Amino acid sequence: MSITGIRRAGTVLAALGLLGLGYVYWLSFFWVSTEASQGIVQRIFYVHPPAAWTSFLAFGIAALTSAMYLWLRDERLDWAAQSAAEGGMVFGTIMLTTGPLWGKIAWGTYWTWEPRLTLTLLLWFIFLGYFMVRRSTENPDQGKRFSAVVAIVGSLLIPFIHLSVVWFRSLHPEPVVITPEGPSLPGDMLTLLLTSVGVFTLLFAGFFMLRYALEGLRHELQQRARRAIA
Amino acid sequence: MSLYLRQVGVVVWKDLLLELRTRERIAAMAAFAVLSGVLFSFATDRSVVRAQDIAAGLIWMTIVFDGLLGIGRTFHIEAEDAAMQGVLMSPAPKDAIFLGKAISNFALLYAVALLVLGVFMLFFGLEIGSSPGAVLLALGLGSLGFVALGTLFAAVSSGTRMGETVLPILVFPLLVPMVIYGAGATGRLLAGRPVAEVAGNLKMLAAFALVALAAGAGLFRFVVED
Repeated sequence: MSITGIRRAGTVLAALGLLGLGYVYWLSFFWVSTEASQGIVQRIFYVHPPAAWTSFLAFGIAALTSAMYLWLRDERLDWAAQSAAEGGMVFGTIMLTTGPLWGKIAWGTYWTWEPRLTLTLLLWFIFLGYFMVRRSTENPDQGKRFSAVVAIVGSLLIPFIHLSVVWFRSLHPEPVVITPEGPSLPGDMLTLLLTSVGVFTLLFAGFFMLRYALEGLRHELQQRARRAIA
Repeated sequence: MSLYLRQVGVVVWKDLLLELRTRERIAAMAAFAVLSGVLFSFATDRSVVRAQDIAAGLIWMTIVFDGLLGIGRTFHIEAEDAAMQGVLMSPAPKDAIFLGKAISNFALLYAVALLVLGVFMLFFGLEIGSSPGAVLLALGLGSLGFVALGTLFAAVSSGTRMGETVLPILVFPLLVPMVIYGAGATGRLLAGRPVAEVAGNLKMLAAFALVALAAGAGLFRFVVED
C-alpha cells in the first residue's frame, strides 16, 4: 500500500474509532446497568481495561518491529516501531490516569502496587527512555538502533518484572481488593467491554497508520530535498 | 572457543589493569559507599524503625546508585582519542568485548557491593545471619544482573548527547526484579531466616542475570556499530 493509501485508511479508521468512542461513552452512561457494589464509578471500567489492552498491544508491536528493524534494517519497520510506541504511550497514559481515579473510590487509595498497574507504569518509563535516547543522538540512525535495543531488552525482561511484582505483592496484601473482572460479569457489561476493546483497538490502528504515513511523508520530503540539492 | 575466552580475557585484563593503575572508579565508588552509609545513618531515626527492617533495602539502593556512578563511566576511557574505534576494529567479536567489559565491571561492582554490606553492618550494627554464603551469593547475582544491563546501557548513553543523565531512566525500570528479589532475600537472610526460604529469590536473580547478559551480548553490536 502506498503512503497515501495508508494515510487515507488511517483517517477512515481513526474517524470510525472516534465515532465508536462516542458510542461507547453514550452506552456506558445511559445504556449499561449500574454495578451493584461500586455504583456509578464502575463505569470507568469501560475505558480503563481497553486502554490497558491497547497499550500492551502497541508496546508489543513496537518491540516486535524494533527487533525486525535491527534484523532487516528496513526504515519502514522503524517507522512502525516508533508509531506503535507513541500509541502505547498515549493509551498507557490513559490507563495510568483512569486507574488511580478508579482506585481511589474502589480501593480507597490512589495508588496500589497492583501488578498490572505497576507493569504499565514501568512499561511507560521504559518507552520514555526509548524516546529520550532516540531524540538525543547526533546521528538519527544511531537513535533508531538505540531505541530498538531499549524496546527489545525491555520486552525480554518484562516477564521478570511481572513475576517479581506479583511476588512483592504477595508479601504486602492489600486490605480490600476488589477484582473487577469476574467470570460472572453480567451480559450487558461484557458486551460493552468487548465493544470498547474493539473501538480502542480500531482507534489505535487509525492513529498508528496516520503516524506511520507521517513518517513516510517526512522521509519522502527528505528524499526530494536531497534530490533538489543534487 | 579458547580463542574466544582469550579475547574476553584480554578486555577484562585491559580494563582491570587500567583500573588498578588509575584507581579512579574504585576510589570514587568506595568513597560513595561509605559516605552513603554515613548519610543513611543520619537520615533514619533508629528510635522509630529498627535497623534490620530497612537495612536490606538501603544496601541494595546504595549498590544501585553506586553502580550507576561507576558503570556509567565504562566507556569513558575509550571515549578519548577515539580509542573505542581501536577496540571495535580489533578482531575480537563484539559480544566478546561486551562480556569482557561486563566481567571487569562485575569485579568492580562486586567488590563495592561487599564494601557496602560491610559499611552497613558496621554503621547499623547488623548481624550477617546464619548463612553468610547466601548473602554473598545474592549480592553477587544481583551485581551480575546489574552490570549486564549497566554495561549495555552505558554504551547507549555514552552515544547520546544526554550522557549519563539518561542512564537511570533506561536502567531503573528494568532493575525492579533485581531490587525486589535481592532486597527480599538479603532482608530475610540478615534476619536469620533459613536459606531454603530465599532459594526461589536466588534462582530468579540468577535467571535475571543470565537473560540480561545474553541480551547484552546479543544486542551490543547494534549499539556500537557505525
